[in-house]
Amino acid sequence: MNHSQLDQLIIMANQIADNNHLDTEAESIEFIATHIKKFWARSMKEELITYAKEGGDKLNVLATQAIMVLSEQYTSRST
Amino acid sequence: MLQHFDPNKDYGTPARVSENLITLEIDGVAVTVPEGTSVLRAAALVDINIPKLCASDNLDAFGSCRLCAVQIEGRRGYPASCTTPVDAGMKVVTQNEKIAKLRRNIMELYISDHPLDCLTCPSNGDCELQDMAGAVGLREVRYGFDGHNHLDAEKDLSNPYFSFDPSKCIVCSRCVRACEEVQGTFALTVDGRGFDSKIAAGQDDSFLNSDCVSCGACVQACPTSTLMENNVIEMGQPEHSVVTTCAYCGVGCSFKADMKGDQVIRMVPYKGGEANQGHSCVKGRFAFGYATHKDRIKTPMIRDSINEAWREVSWEEAIGFAAKRLKEVQATYGRESIGGITSSRCTNEETYLVQKLIRAGFGNNNTDTCARVCHSPTGYGLKTTLGESAGTQTFDSIKYTDTMLVIGANPTDAHPVFGSMMRRRLREGAQLIVADPRKIDLLKTPHLKDAIHLPLRPGTNVALVNSLAHTIMSEGLEDKAFIASRCDDKAFIKWQAFITEERNSPEAMQSITGVDAEDVRKAARVYANAGNGAIFYGLGVTEHSQGSTMVMGIANLALATGNIGREGVGVNPLRGQNNVQGSCDMGSFPHELPGYQHVADDEARGRFEAAWGVKLDDEPGLRIPNMFDAALAGSFKALYVQGEDIAQSDPNTQHVEAALKALDCVIVQDIFLNETAKFAHVLLPGSTFLEKNGTFTNAERRINRVRKVMPALAGKEDWEVTVALSNALGYEMNYNHPSEIMDEIASLTPSFTGVNYERLEELGSIQWPCNEQHPEGMPIMHVEDFPIGKGNLAITEYVATDERATRRFPLLLTTGRILSQYNVGAQTRRTENQTWHNEDVLELHPHDAEERGVNEGDWLGISSRAGQTVLRAVISERMQPGVVYTTFHHPGSGANVITTDSSDWATNCPEYKVTAVQVEKVTQPSEWQKNFEDFNNKQQDYLRKGRRSRSEEVGQ
Repeated sequence: MNHSQLDQLIIMANQIADNNHLDTEAESIEFIATHIKKFWARSMKEELITYAKEGGDKLNVLATQAIMVLSEQYTSRST
Repeated sequence: MLQHFDPNKDYGTPARVSENLITLEIDGVAVTVPEGTSVLRAAALVDINIPKLCASDNLDAFGSCRLCAVQIEGRRGYPASCTTPVDAGMKVVTQNEKIAKLRRNIMELYISDHPLDCLTCPSNGDCELQDMAGAVGLREVRYGFDGHNHLDAEKDLSNPYFSFDPSKCIVCSRCVRACEEVQGTFALTVDGRGFDSKIAAGQDDSFLNSDCVSCGACVQACPTSTLMENNVIEMGQPEHSVVTTCAYCGVGCSFKADMKGDQVIRMVPYKGGEANQGHSCVKGRFAFGYATHKDRIKTPMIRDSINEAWREVSWEEAIGFAAKRLKEVQATYGRESIGGITSSRCTNEETYLVQKLIRAGFGNNNTDTCARVCHSPTGYGLKTTLGESAGTQTFDSIKYTDTMLVIGANPTDAHPVFGSMMRRRLREGAQLIVADPRKIDLLKTPHLKDAIHLPLRPGTNVALVNSLAHTIMSEGLEDKAFIASRCDDKAFIKWQAFITEERNSPEAMQSITGVDAEDVRKAARVYANAGNGAIFYGLGVTEHSQGSTMVMGIANLALATGNIGREGVGVNPLRGQNNVQGSCDMGSFPHELPGYQHVADDEARGRFEAAWGVKLDDEPGLRIPNMFDAALAGSFKALYVQGEDIAQSDPNTQHVEAALKALDCVIVQDIFLNETAKFAHVLLPGSTFLEKNGTFTNAERRINRVRKVMPALAGKEDWEVTVALSNALGYEMNYNHPSEIMDEIASLTPSFTGVNYERLEELGSIQWPCNEQHPEGMPIMHVEDFPIGKGNLAITEYVATDERATRRFPLLLTTGRILSQYNVGAQTRRTENQTWHNEDVLELHPHDAEERGVNEGDWLGISSRAGQTVLRAVISERMQPGVVYTTFHHPGSGANVITTDSSDWATNCPEYKVTAVQVEKVTQPSEWQKNFEDFNNKQQDYLRKGRRSRSEEVGQ
């Protein structure tokens, strides 16, 4: 049953999304992105951002969009 | 210490609380006391010490010995001062010739049936009977000793910690009353009548075979040598005492360590301890022998690989070796390739230093703590809803509770001293609601009135708490005034719309929770109408995929009913280990600096950078499960673990073992070669709570002093080891005493600014926040407002866990703890507590047993998607059909071989409480158990070889 690190990150991101269907999609995406930003290590975020950019087909819709928001934040931060 | 009373004195009867003060005269001295106070206590308060035997200030007055007889002007005879309440204008005489004669006569009768072996008696020098004989001036026993007596009564030596010698018993019934009133077990009784009266355990059983839970209250209450600690019998009376704090559960009991030189003779619960108020459990009271157990690691050890023997080396060499390996790993794999784990068993100061070493010395935020796997959802859930990551009350607050709602906790086993306080309040008439898959012992409290048990299916907590809240809101049971004044409007309106949806009703949730809808409605009404309703919860709430959601659901209940901000109410997380609260407060989590200040908060981080003299990372680090995943992925290569046993306590053992094996360097600092240390390259000897100074913070935010009573066996206290490692790594730390570490903590943590050792000595203990606004701490939180302003009712959508019963795994396993063992058992397994629980077993319902042809004691293979282990069967109706239960106190049991990587969505706290399993009869241990046995034997052999090589070297 052991998952790879990436598999586990996908499960975690999807789980955050499943638990946080807020009033609007935009609110949900913002919440998920903020949660991951606040609690996850840099390396975990980077790995998931790379995966999402490559298609990220195992991520659910909300999680994918949240990761993309996160990606933009980190890109703008590093520039 | 500043005390309103002397905790070392016995005032005879309990204190009374009343606004009405009564003034009387005792031996010509005017005394003013609260109404209801006994004459005996009133006298003791002005140091007029009336002789007594059957009275004690932790027991209700009984009036059987009559030794405390006095004369009261205008009243006939010689009333017992213990049972006589004070009256305005009363004039009491405690000493005159008539009273003296009466007391001598009473003592004479007692002594006529008592062995006169004072010089060889274990109680010699600490015997109330002896003291009273002296006080009343007994000089002769006119009746002789030839008549009927009890001098040949047989001793009961069944209990491993204390003896019962009935030949010395005066049948004062203090032990019986202590068992009833203090402990609440009712295991003892006075059997027979008149001369035949004797103290009996259970139905005249031995102490060991009775319901006795070995809390020691009876031993403490005994005024003679009848109930006596075996240590005192063997080693004699102690010669000095040091007050310190227990290192077992989150109750944080204060104890007097009674010492003879540097040897602990006994641990006696300290009456001045505000958490335990003079009570104890079998662990804190008796199970301290592990501190000097032969398995203690007393010399540092190193090795290049886990497949070779250890080498005992000097501290300098071990620390140098560890630092070199860490530097090499970082040089090869990068700054973020190493990390560390702090311990909830260590002191605040030690925990603070480890996270400081990681953040400032390692240069990353890869710090986490074992609270990750127990109460991290409490931190998240309470901070989100109430604004502070901590429980809201004092333990004492329960004295004002009208209804207690206990969810996913088993206090009489896991927090026994507080369990006794709960039982006392239940006997006084408080109502009890228990939400738990198992029928916990609190439901079997003697003299309990009607209790409501909601036996929900594991994994459905949120469904249940939502249906409770739905009932409160849809039936108009909420506290509208509290909501209007104390809760955020916008959040409340949203939550109200959500929670009143029909899908959250008890009727709709019934098929999910398995709990009858009418029982849920009844429970909601009882809680909401309670007057004072208090919620107590444990790991049965947090260790779920929705652990954080459930904590928020609990806070919602308290907010909606106005049960926050005063005595008797609140949200009370029962912390598992002694310093879970403290380890969280001290910045152990990767995203938070001490005092729950986020690493991305520039202002807060800036203060730490200025104080620590280094630039800190503004990104969170890895959490424990993330460290394991990263280790297997090859990016995380070295780990420093202080006082934790992740190889036994964390879920999915095979995954943890594989991760540990993948690391280039594991540094374990522990008192024993624990399961994690078997995967280590450096083993640094740890020190027990008896060997160091510091502080622990208990479940009620109470900071208590830990005081050193004996030298550190390996020469260093744990904080000194971290300092040495830090210095070897090139990040300088200089402290001479833990008090200096606390001063640094206070300077950087807004909720601790008023905390220092001097203040702790003065006040005894402090409940944080302690700062300019709250100079003596804050016992009850959120009285006027919340740190976030208004209470935030959070949306708590129920999302089913992926761990659900299937055809392949049709049963749900839930795990827990037992009274006599503690956590991974490293300490308690090395004590006589093994007498009560020397193996973990699998409890299953008779229905499930019958379906599988299982009989009591059969070997059962338990399989989940994570692994398989084998345990012995215990058939029990405490479980509902479809649910099985075990504990994880013994490493070879492999309970965590079965638990999975499923975890809380917000915090990654593992879902220990729900694992889908199958159970079948087997004839041999599982593959994992066989491998464990081989690996363990190999590692023990490596330890023996290491020790032998050192002794040979020394011999040369």
